[in-house]
This record gives sequence, structure tokens and C-alpha cells, in this order.
Amino acid sequence: MTASPTQRVPELVHHALIYDSDEAFLAATAGFCLDGLAAGDKVLAVTTAANIGLLKDGLGQISDGVQFVTAQDWYDTPGRTLAAYNRYVNAHKTHHRRVRIIGEPVWHGRSPAEEAEWTRYESVINAAFEGSPAWIVCPYDERVLPERVVSDARRTHPQLLTGDTARDSRVYTDPAAFTHASDHLPLPLPPAGTHVESTFDADLGRTRRLVSAWATALGLADGTAGRLVLAVNEVVVNAVRHGGGHGRIRLWADHSVIRCDVTDSGRLRAPFPGYLPPDPAADRGHGLWVVRQLCDLLEIRGGEHGTQVRLHLSRA
Amino acid sequence: MGGVVRQVKDVRLGDHLCLAFAHEAEQREVASAFVTAGLERGERVLYFTDGPTGDRVRRWLEESGVDVAEAMATGRLGIRSAEDTYLAAGRFDPDAMIDALREEVDRSLAAGFAGFRVSGEMGWALRGMAGAERLEEYERRVTALFDEGVSAAICLYDTRVFPADRLSALIGSHPGRVQMNALVHEGPLRVIPSFDPAGSRVLRVAGAIDHDSATAWSAALRGAIGGNGLGGDLQIDMSELEFIDVAGLRALVRTAGELEDGRRLRVTRLAPRLNEIVRLVGWDQTTGLIIDAESFPS
Repeated sequence: MTASPTQRVPELVHHALIYDSDEAFLAATAGFCLDGLAAGDKVLAVTTAANIGLLKDGLGQISDGVQFVTAQDWYDTPGRTLAAYNRYVNAHKTHHRRVRIIGEPVWHGRSPAEEAEWTRYESVINAAFEGSPAWIVCPYDERVLPERVVSDARRTHPQLLTGDTARDSRVYTDPAAFTHASDHLPLPLPPAGTHVESTFDADLGRTRRLVSAWATALGLADGTAGRLVLAVNEVVVNAVRHGGGHGRIRLWADHSVIRCDVTDSGRLRAPFPGYLPPDPAADRGHGLWVVRQLCDLLEIRGGEHGTQVRLHLSRA
Repeated sequence: MGGVVRQVKDVRLGDHLCLAFAHEAEQREVASAFVTAGLERGERVLYFTDGPTGDRVRRWLEESGVDVAEAMATGRLGIRSAEDTYLAAGRFDPDAMIDALREEVDRSLAAGFAGFRVSGEMGWALRGMAGAERLEEYERRVTALFDEGVSAAICLYDTRVFPADRLSALIGSHPGRVQMNALVHEGPLRVIPSFDPAGSRVLRVAGAIDHDSATAWSAALRGAIGGNGLGGDLQIDMSELEFIDVAGLRALVRTAGELEDGRRLRVTRLAPRLNEIVRLVGWDQTTGLIIDAESFPS
């Protein structure tokens, strides 16, 4: 079959483009852009500086119609990047039948925790943009990426693109059922002797004062401390309302990142906690989404015995 | 500005407080509550107007449920002009005024009243009357009379007419200030109403809005937009806010969305970090919501 989507109401198309040469990258992406521009679609290309150069050369003059963004500037944190794509699609879908996106995530320099959450982000895209007129092609460069990243791309993208042909990915996993290999492992413990810890209960003011005092002791700037207190408050409120009503909180930091665990005995039932952009008019459900915007990374481990939420905030 | 800040319902004998108001609606709320409470407690009450007639005050009190004619006939209530009180000597004389007040206190107690309370409009001090420059001295010295614990006073200063420097000195000459009764005073959250110079309602929010105070916060907002005769814009002053959670911001946005056409909810002095959240969620697109964030980084 060809990559052309149905001519009826456009809905999400999410392709992985696993490529092993500049030619293979260009063979898929140049046509994708040209078809889009010819159809009057909005076209955004977020990729490496080298690939932007290739694509501009390949498209020639017509590349003026494509919006280019360097991947390093776009792939900030999973929560914020997903929100940015959502804003982009919403801003352009009223004037364009389709919003075409080439989105090449940044994998180099990611910690194992970041890699896991960016992989989950790729899976969540399928749920977050369900029913949206986005057509997203995610290039994966086999020449430089670890094998595990490439094989996860086959699980997080319903279709794989080669040239102008897409085929179904046989190992594609429904986002609600998706798990990353590391999800079965406990989160690493704080380095010995580096954390502060306390219990929390329904007294939210007490928890905020405690976190605020910890932030002061760490010498955090007011803005960072404020983000931390707000983020912890939202996670603790969830635990108090939907969890066991009480739990433990612990916090530690190194020179660049503050980490905070909120653990309780409840179960988090939302399938994509804090990932799906909330309807501004909804009565609830904005809390965890805001936490993802405030934090640099959010890790969640849940099971029969309770839920552990780990917030990562950079000091700067 | 130091000193105590009391809600008008909490004013007690012994207090000497000032109200700095920007609109007559606030003066009316505080003065009416102060007079009414005094009458209910069996105290004798005097009200000094800045102008020849007390009709306006009489109407306020009647609309608050006071039988003004009866209260005046029985000597429980007196409404007098500044000319007959502060300026009775043809000029302002702090010593004479303090002596006159002491006489009123003594007379009230001798007549069996539980105490004495007085409220005075102070605008006469700006009309170039001789002795008016001694008003700060008077305010500082008269505190000793109220300190005795059998009388109380609220001095009414209109911030629209008093120059800022003078006002600040006058406020500083009182042991404390009075404000309207809180709409919410629950746990760490206080929501204090007032009025801006245009007569629009202002809510000053202090403390924390979180899961515990969410219900009270929503009710306060609803009350502020839906109350009797409360049209116009609503301003929410966030300068004393210590914390607000995401649901608290949601309630603010919802309230703005519920205003009828043309009315606006203006949030002032919101921390930039919170404004950023409002923007991220898309709540800044809410019709009727205007946010003036603090300009300094937070």
C-alpha cells in the first residue's frame, strides 16, 4: 500500500522511518514534504541540523514552505514537547487539512530514565493525537542509535515507512498496554545518605512547608522552589484523594537535578497520567498535566502495592 | 504599616482604627456594620459626617435594619456634622476634641450604656481649616482614651481625596486598621472584599488555596460575582497569595467564564509562574479573564 492516507476525514498517521543512509532518509522525507506542500498541508520538520541540511538541499527552493526546527531545540522534556506538538497542531489544523510533522527525537545523551520516558512518549503520541489530523513521521537513524531504541520504535509506531511505502508494524503495541523494559525494575534508590524523608497525610500545608524548607536548605532559587512545591502538592493531592490518604515523600539532589519521590498505597488508574492535553473547559484532570509541564521528567511505577511518582527538576 | 488589622465584626471596645477606603460602598459597609454592632451590644454610638446633613448615613443605617428615628430619640444614636464636633471651636483643637470625647464617654457610661463608639468622616481636614495640620497629633493622642477599654473609634479616610503622604502618616497615627468582613476565613485562606475607586468589587486573597480550601474559594468567587446588585468587573488581588493549586486556578478561570457578557474578571499581581501555567493550559483564552502578572521574575 502507499503512504497516502484516506481521503476522508484525516486522522492520525504515525510512522517510524528507520533509515540507515542519507539517501533512505531523503527518499522518505522529501516526498512527504512535497506531497504535503502540494496538498496545502502545514509541514514541520524537526530533525538534526545535518538532516535539515539534506532536506533543504533535496527540496531546493520549495523548502521555503517547510518550517524547520532543530531537534535539540524542540525535544525538551516529554511532557512539554507533547504539549508543544499539541499546540502546533491545534494552531494549524483550522487552516490546513493536515498537519505533517517530521519529528526525530533526540536520543543521544539521554539517561536510562530519560530514554525510557521518551520511548513512552512515542507510544503516548498514538493516544494523545488520536482523531487529530496530524501525520507524524519519526526518523530513527540506525547508524547511530542503540538497537533497543530502534526496536522500541517498532513497538511505538503503528506503521513503518520506507521510501513512499508504509507497512504495518507487526510488533506495534497499543499505547494503553505499552510497557518499557525498565518498568519492571524498581527505580534506582537515592545515593546512600543523600536524601531527606518524611510522611505525608491530608495536611497539605504541612507538606508544602516541609518541601519548602528542604528547597531552602538546598539553596534553590525561588522560582525552582515554587515549581517544586506546586508539583509535589499536585501529586500529593492525588495520593490523598485517590490513594491511601497518606504516604511517604523523599527528596535528594545533585549539582544539577532535584529528585522527589511521592509514594502511597493507592493505584493510579489513569492510563496516560498527565500526558493527554486536558480540555481547558474540563472540571478536573489538569493537575498531573501541569506537573509534567513543570518538571523535567516524571517517572511513575504502579502496581498492586501502591504508586511511586518520581519528579525530576533541574536546578536552573 | 504595622499595627493590627481587624475585620469590622471583630472590632471591640478599646480599638482605635482607621479605614482607608477608595469607594463609598466600602465606607458604607464598614460604618454600617460598626454602628449596628454597637447598638446591638447596648453601646451608645455617635457618627460624625463630613457635611451638613446626615441623610445619607441615616439611609445606610435604615437599609441595614436600624430604626434610626427610635435610636436617635432614645439617645442611643447620634449623627452630627464635623462643624458641630471636630470644628466646634471654629477651628480644629485636639485638646478640646479629646475633652469633648471624654465627656461623651463618661456621659454614656453614666447613662447605663455598655460603652461608647464613634465613627467620623475626616474629609474636613483637607479644607484648610485652622488647626487641621494637628490631625496626626490628635490621632496619636486620642488613642489613650480608647485604650481605657470602654470606647472604640473608626476614623474614615477617603483615599481618593487625601494625598498619599498625608494618608500614610494618618494611617500610621492609628494603632491599627479595619477592613470589611472576610468572605472566607478558613484555615490558611482569607478572602477580603473591598472596592476600587470605580466602585468595582475587589477581592484581596491572602494565604493558601488548596484542596482543603477549594470549596470555600469557589463559594467566595461565586458570591462575589452573583451577589445582590453586584454588576461590573471583579478584581482579584493576588499580592498576598502564598499558594494556589491547579484546581484553585481552575476555579478562577471557571468564574471568569460564567460572567455575563461585558463583565470581566481581572486578576492582578499574580506570580509569573502561575500566569505561565494559566497560559500553558490554555486558560488565558477564556473570555472575560484578564491577568496582570507581576512584572518581576519569580
